[in-house]
Amino acid sequence: MSERSALRTAVPEMIRPQGNLATSPGASSPSAPYSFAENLAPDRDHIDIRGILRERARLLAQEPPPAPTGEVLVVVEFTLGAEHYGVKSRLVREVYPLKDFTPLPGTPPFILGLMNVRGQILSITDLNTLFGLPDSGLRNANQVIILQNPVREFAILVDTIVGMRTIPMAELQQDLPTLTGLAGEFVKGITPDRLAVLHGDKLLTDNRLVVNGDLA
Amino acid sequence: MTSKDDEFYQRLLTTFKGEAAEHLQAIADGVLTLEKGTSTSERASLIETIYREAHSLKGAARAVNLREIEALCQPLESLLASWKNESSQPVPEHFDLIHQTVTVLEDLVARSGIGVTAAQGAQARDLAKLLTRALAGRRTVAPASGPGKAAPPAPPIELQTAPNPEPAPAARPETAGDSPAGPTAPTAATVQPPRPPHQEKPLATETVRVATAKLDALLLQAEEFIAAKLIAGQRAADLREAVAEFALWQKYWAKVQPLLRDLKRLTSGDGRHRQAEQFCRTATQIGEFLDWNAELVKNLEHKLTPILRAAEQDTRVIGGLVDNLLFDVKKVLMLPFAMLLETFPKFVRDLAREQGKEVDFTIQGREVEIDRRILQEIKDPLLHLVRNSIDHGLETPEERARRHKPVQGRLNIAIAQKDSGKVEICVADDGVGIDPEKVKAAAVKQGFLSAAEAEGLTADEARQLIFRSGISTAPIITTISGRGLGLAIVQEKVEKMGGSLQVEAVPTGGTIFRLVLPLTLATFRGTLIQVGQRLFVIPTTHLERVARVKGEDVKTVENRETILLNGHPIALVSLAATLGVPSQGQGSSQNGFLTVLVLNVNGQRLAFSVNAVLNEQEVLVKNLGPQLLRVPNIAGATVLGSGAVVPILNVTDLVASAIKKTAPQHVVGQGKKEAEQQVSSILVAEDSITARTLLKNILELAGYRVQTAIDGVEGFTALQREHFDLVVSDVEMPRMNGFELTSRIRADKRLAELPVILVTALESPEDRKRGIEVGANAYLVKSSFDQGNLLDLIKQFI
Repeated sequence: MSERSALRTAVPEMIRPQGNLATSPGASSPSAPYSFAENLAPDRDHIDIRGILRERARLLAQEPPPAPTGEVLVVVEFTLGAEHYGVKSRLVREVYPLKDFTPLPGTPPFILGLMNVRGQILSITDLNTLFGLPDSGLRNANQVIILQNPVREFAILVDTIVGMRTIPMAELQQDLPTLTGLAGEFVKGITPDRLAVLHGDKLLTDNRLVVNGDLA
Repeated sequence: MTSKDDEFYQRLLTTFKGEAAEHLQAIADGVLTLEKGTSTSERASLIETIYREAHSLKGAARAVNLREIEALCQPLESLLASWKNESSQPVPEHFDLIHQTVTVLEDLVARSGIGVTAAQGAQARDLAKLLTRALAGRRTVAPASGPGKAAPPAPPIELQTAPNPEPAPAARPETAGDSPAGPTAPTAATVQPPRPPHQEKPLATETVRVATAKLDALLLQAEEFIAAKLIAGQRAADLREAVAEFALWQKYWAKVQPLLRDLKRLTSGDGRHRQAEQFCRTATQIGEFLDWNAELVKNLEHKLTPILRAAEQDTRVIGGLVDNLLFDVKKVLMLPFAMLLETFPKFVRDLAREQGKEVDFTIQGREVEIDRRILQEIKDPLLHLVRNSIDHGLETPEERARRHKPVQGRLNIAIAQKDSGKVEICVADDGVGIDPEKVKAAAVKQGFLSAAEAEGLTADEARQLIFRSGISTAPIITTISGRGLGLAIVQEKVEKMGGSLQVEAVPTGGTIFRLVLPLTLATFRGTLIQVGQRLFVIPTTHLERVARVKGEDVKTVENRETILLNGHPIALVSLAATLGVPSQGQGSSQNGFLTVLVLNVNGQRLAFSVNAVLNEQEVLVKNLGPQLLRVPNIAGATVLGSGAVVPILNVTDLVASAIKKTAPQHVVGQGKKEAEQQVSSILVAEDSITARTLLKNILELAGYRVQTAIDGVEGFTALQREHFDLVVSDVEMPRMNGFELTSRIRADKRLAELPVILVTALESPEDRKRGIEVGANAYLVKSSFDQGNLLDLIKQFI
């Protein structure tokens, strides 16, 4: 213990590493893998901390929008590609980061695979594929929403979670002719700002989302 | 009645039902034994036991206010009492009557709390009358002792030797209202000082009644501990790996140390001019830092090494604890076969009576214990076999007499613990046996076999055909058997539990069904295998062997690939192709050798080629979640110690789907091996699992060897260790982002020329500029990502 603290006190004299010492041409070192050029001093100087705080204060000072009247729907809002979706928050068991998954052979393409949630194995549904949405390039989807009702439980892959939102039922516009196919069936309605509210219960109970395959 | 009282009554009823079932069972058993005939002393104590059981049942019924049961118990008890004090002798009609009474009482007990139906009530009253009459009738019948029947085991000597201390009929009258059976007042003989029913039973061990549901829950939890054990092992392995890294450091440090000493010597001198002095000071400081650094690393190593040892120790301790816990919990759930078989004697007796057959039914090995879940599952199959023997095996007494066999048919169930972990149950009868010719004929008729094939079968092989669904030799279909489905179902059930079922002929006539079962529903053992780049678990029970065969030894026969194992050809299929997962180098992975698994399902053998067999371990089987009810070829999934989910393969499905695919899947020969060695390798650094998987799939499909890293640091470490031809990296990653990774690569002498493609969500021109500044060769934007673009780009660089 004392030995170590002695060592530590010896350090303060140390210069702050700059650039890449490991490859500085002067040193006739072999190509050794040590290099403590780990950026000890990240480039924080130009971040305007005061500005951030000021902006935060301004947002906090804003008056909340008036609570919607009449029947409302509380949804968890998320994005799939460029589109915004919502699902009834009562059906959301939790939001979980997707660190790893196991693809499963013999399942339809909308089954992304299996994930481990604290020892429980859950299947992941990819709505993008299920709805036949256009491929929006390379997706950065790292989160899932775990949906649950008494019948079923599974996770859906989402690109980003936006947050919770309260939507007055009166604002929901139904039967949009533009929505065809499966997506149309599973969308309950659309808000004026183009948030598609999903039929969560239908997702959970529809047999087309269930895999009960026989040998091909 | 308040609901609380009601609840209490319901609880009492539940307890009563359990107790009543035991009493009734004991009565039925006792009477059956009596019927067979026993030695005199045993007889007395047996009657005593039966009597006491009836008495206790009566008391218990009264306590929960079940008048019907009490009313029927009363004359039963009286009859038994008359046997006990030898004022009458048991005659066969009485045995029948008691068996009937037991059956009716069982019904009444089942209805307790719900109310007895009118028919049941009438039946019970009729029986009570019959019992009373039997008792009253003894005066007239008793002197003749054995009317027509040959069976009554009542040799006159017994009368003298029965050592019954009870004083005979001159006893006190029963308490008022206790004898609704009325007229036969002499039955009052039954009364004795009221004794607690079980007082005289030897208390071998103290026992506690626990609801099985609670025990099952306990077992489930205990099984979950397997996960804890696996995780502990994984942690130790991770630590071991971390500690091993120090060895590499030691090696480099040893090389650098002399250089550092030289540096110190060179800079320690004085009398140089100013610039040199400045340089010397800097160098000295760096030297000091490096010394400190080395100490730090050594310290870390010293700290980590004991932690590793502790972790290894913990793994062993936890492993032992978990194993013991599981073993003990499983033992708690083990029950003797007696629990299952107690109803059999009555069942056999009733069935035999119904068919006019006489059966001497014996059981050996009731005390053998087995997992409760297996016991439950095996009950129906076993009943089926017994029914089968009585129905089709044993002949009627007349028939038997004609064949010079003892009139009484023999049926025996023998249970024995075989080698560790296995139990064998033999159901043997000395009946007609199974005629192989009849079975063959039935099989041919059903179209399972051609007449020529049937001709070629040995008698033993033919007999096994009875397990095929739809085959029955019974000329008529009765209500209980003859449809030919039963044995197929029995076999399926037995195999599902990991057991086996075989039929044998006894040379002297008769049949033996030999059932081998595991003692416990063993913890599932699985073999971890690698197919392509993916992991799967194969149930070890179906894995006959693992072998390595030379690529040249794969021969195509009738468009099917086969290998020779121990001189027998076995069909070979690629597991990757069967499952439909991308294979990588499968077929000639290691120097022209194939790794092959031989699976055995119901005697059908098939070889599957895989990339690697990793290890064999305990596996906790979990289902795939409520969305995936059934997935072809997949039986379930498990979680490894590392937290990774691995699918468990369904071997029966695999064999079925492999048989459907016929095209040769292995490229035999050397050409492919050489081609493979030239495959370019690409490192993908990307923190998003979905993007990472997608990139990996695209590149692998394009024929590249791909390795992935979850961020820049891991990527850079991989680059130090292995050679790659190209790097595809995301920009925004934790710890070290894509820009940093690129500049690191450019700064490293050995890696400076390595092509780097950045794939990013950052679209601004500044980001693009920065990408080029740090030295990336190309910059792709994720939102407009197209796999064709990426592959074209890669082709330009390698």
